[in-house]
Amino acid sequence: MSIYDFEVKTSKGEPKSLADYKGKVMLIVNTASNCGFTPQFKELQDLYIKYKDQGLEILGFPCNQFAEQDPGTNSEVQEFCRLNYGVTFQIFAKGDVRGETAQPLFKYLVEQQGFQGFDESHPIAAKLIGALQEHFPEILAGDGIKWNFTKFLVDREGKVVARFEPTTSPADLAQDIEKLLG
Amino acid sequence: MVKVYSINNCPWCDKVKKYLKSKHVEFEEHNIEENDADRDACYALTGDLVVPITTANDKDYVLSFDKAKLDALLGL
Repeated sequence: MSIYDFEVKTSKGEPKSLADYKGKVMLIVNTASNCGFTPQFKELQDLYIKYKDQGLEILGFPCNQFAEQDPGTNSEVQEFCRLNYGVTFQIFAKGDVRGETAQPLFKYLVEQQGFQGFDESHPIAAKLIGALQEHFPEILAGDGIKWNFTKFLVDREGKVVARFEPTTSPADLAQDIEKLLG
Repeated sequence: MVKVYSINNCPWCDKVKKYLKSKHVEFEEHNIEENDADRDACYALTGDLVVPITTANDKDYVLSFDKAKLDALLGL
């Protein structure tokens, strides 16, 4: 079983084989709403613009399984929406990423790279961990996806080489991406 | 002419348009999801792809639905 065996659905409902990304460095992310305070969207977009010509593809999978926004920022009113449909990086159809109903791709990703803890120095870490302990303790257990913006980095041969939790900002992935781009 | 950059399914874009109409401000809507030239113009203006963006001179702009800032920008 290789990552290139998976097929996913585009936001328009069309099937897309991950084999189409052979030879590319992939960053696969479960994303949140595009209307709200989701600063990681902007950072992902910046990464994509910076590295796409060298072979980076970012694949975003919107998911409703977690609260809509970053846990620490629910109370902040951010009255704007972000354009994200394929013109920046590719966004696929909405679907589940954890539990029995998870898309097969995400079951595979968490098998390849389990949960190794949060970066507690990140500004959202304390709030995220607190919110999970209080409202979703079941999410904290095991290797499943913990929250929006969990990022998996896949090398040019299709190996899932790293997993970054929501507490790692996309901007901090630049070095790892550059290493894989070679 | 006042321009409003928008995308589809954007509640805040709708609020800005409704507010401008209520103040009898004429404006052009530029949907950056449907028109690549508008998308590029919006990115050139703001360095990002978030909407609604309202501008009257293609230089100063207001992001989001912010009545006070819109009033100041448009002299309402």
